[in-house]
Amino acid sequence: MISRRKIAAAMAGVVIGGLALAGCSGDSGSGSSGEVTGTLDFYTDKAAWKPDFESLNTASGDAVDITLKTTGYSDANQYDAFIKQSFRTAKSPGLFTWHTGDALTQLVEQGLVAETTDIWKKAIDEGWVSEDLAKSYTYDGKQYCVPMNIAYWIMFYNKQLFADNGIEVPTTWDELNDAATTLKAAGVTPYYQTSTLFTFQWFQHLVASTDPDLYAGLADGSVKYTDPKIVDIMNVWLDEQKKGWFSDPGSTTDPAVALKQGDFAMIDFGTFFAGNLDGAGMTPDDYGMFAIPAVNGDLDTTPVAVESGPICVAENSTQRDLGLAYSEWWMSADAQTAWNEAHGDVAFNPKATVSDPALAEIGTQISGEGYSLYDRFFEAMPTEIVTTAIEQFGAFNANPGDPLPFLEKIQATADKYWAEQK
Amino acid sequence: MAHQKTPYQWSARGFIAPGVILVAVLLYLPLLWTVFLSFTRYNGLGSPKWIGLDNYVEMFTDADFAGSVLNTVLWVVGTLIVPVGIGLAIALLTWNLGGGIWLRLPFLIPYALSGIGVGVVWSFILSSGGALDQALAAFGITDPPRWLLDAPLNTVVMIIASSWQGVGVNALLFTIGLQAIPKEPLEAARIDGASGIRLFGSILWPMLRPLTAVVVGLSIVASLKTFDIVWGMTKGGPGTVSETLALTMYKETFVNSDYGLGSAIAVFLTVITLVASVLYLRQQLSPKNEM
Repeated sequence: MISRRKIAAAMAGVVIGGLALAGCSGDSGSGSSGEVTGTLDFYTDKAAWKPDFESLNTASGDAVDITLKTTGYSDANQYDAFIKQSFRTAKSPGLFTWHTGDALTQLVEQGLVAETTDIWKKAIDEGWVSEDLAKSYTYDGKQYCVPMNIAYWIMFYNKQLFADNGIEVPTTWDELNDAATTLKAAGVTPYYQTSTLFTFQWFQHLVASTDPDLYAGLADGSVKYTDPKIVDIMNVWLDEQKKGWFSDPGSTTDPAVALKQGDFAMIDFGTFFAGNLDGAGMTPDDYGMFAIPAVNGDLDTTPVAVESGPICVAENSTQRDLGLAYSEWWMSADAQTAWNEAHGDVAFNPKATVSDPALAEIGTQISGEGYSLYDRFFEAMPTEIVTTAIEQFGAFNANPGDPLPFLEKIQATADKYWAEQK
Repeated sequence: MAHQKTPYQWSARGFIAPGVILVAVLLYLPLLWTVFLSFTRYNGLGSPKWIGLDNYVEMFTDADFAGSVLNTVLWVVGTLIVPVGIGLAIALLTWNLGGGIWLRLPFLIPYALSGIGVGVVWSFILSSGGALDQALAAFGITDPPRWLLDAPLNTVVMIIASSWQGVGVNALLFTIGLQAIPKEPLEAARIDGASGIRLFGSILWPMLRPLTAVVVGLSIVASLKTFDIVWGMTKGGPGTVSETLALTMYKETFVNSDYGLGSAIAVFLTVITLVASVLYLRQQLSPKNEM
């Protein structure tokens, strides 16, 4: 019987030990602390971009002797939870994609991401990045993470539909409205809209290009969503809804395919959408893009929404130094030229070569005179407010009517959020 | 000496220890952690901050939460009427037929799909300008209902989509129940002239009671935690009009990173599910209800 007891005790011990090991152990990656060459574990919620990231391994291997081993998540919420939990383990990532705005603030406040001030200083000195962009990455005068990409939120249009109706690319708000009126009269729906997720962009443009300070006030809580000026702006949107200028919000047709087949003539989206259009079989002969004219023609510059996604390094990662070495290379013109060749879109590094001529042109145009950049709604506003806002804009798109009840719901979330910050 | 454990008892404890530890670590600890989190403000980083009952107060005073509860009730009622009812009907109509399995089999195939997969397929059918609208247009109906945009229609059609998936397994369970009924009372009833509805009401239904209790009990639990099909079809929208409790819980926890409020909703959902299941099964399976 003694031996049975021992066996049972041993079994229990094995299970407990196994659980403990499973909880505490982990593959700490190929590089140990301090190494600046080798294989870097990279996590991203952009699973579809994995081949693009890994295609850079040749360039990064040659330049800094670092290659990425990429793990892609396709569910952004699941990914965010995974990254947050990883900070509690020995597996916090040496390199991972994240979000600017509220989400990055949370990581910085907890001291979870490595400082990149030196990398930014070098990049700005080399002319690899504008000082403007650094603002989204700066906390108490120090920088954290580096930009993975930028995208401008602009208008894509179907060239054939414009040509058929004698429409030139609009350069003023009135010309844009005239274009929409002409298209509608010809039986073509002017604009795309949906009821889930990407519901914020028209609101963002209407507010920021009517009064940039009003937009900034929404972002810092000094302006309420129920402010009469916001209500007036929503009524502009409502008038456009009543004129039938927006597509069916319940359609699940891929917006790139829908633009191609003429379900609508224009779509307000990030410059990365050019890749979707290429995927849908459109070429730059079929679609064009332009910066959306400001509602308020008296503004000195035309505000353009910019989205910037960061690549970060966990402060307590065993691959911290390796991740920072890769981050430094990532900002270089060579790296960004290679990335642009693999992935497309506009480039944050003005010295990088943008392979798509149309994107290169609009990138140069917007980064030049006459335009100013503001943070996209998603990054500019706190997450909880964004969640409620995109729900309510979706509900507004589905059932356009008095904007006040929708705005009151958003403001209720904003009130709760700002109260918790005090 | 009377209280001293025998070597046999010691070794027995050793053998059940792994199971007990697994249950404690994987089930009880997360439950207790969730209850704890429901009294805190926590965004998944740093340490939770104790805020007492604030999350529960916020939950019960939120109009959208009331909407989620109402939608969840719709799901419970709808799931009992449609997939359980149709599952029973299919079982009754096919169990005595030669080759009945071939009639039941097609209903089982969708069960192999995930809820998200079902959501994607039915979104394709029910979205504006989707397959159903195109089919209706072929019959001259050019202004069909907005299936997924208007409440409560969107919840109703999602219950139908969910039923498409769930009806087969209910039919299978009821068929097993019917096949387990002893032949003697059935033959006696038939000799006495019972058939059709009379046979069903007086013999089959009462003898199916234990299995019906299980099927209905499972349906209640499954419908209370409805998430994936709604997430796949409407994301709870437009706005929040088709949100269920499980979806609100997910949204607060993983989209808004409000782990405290998400945990409070999880605790509420757990209590409701437990109470509903225990009350129902206790009532249905108590000896006084046995034949």
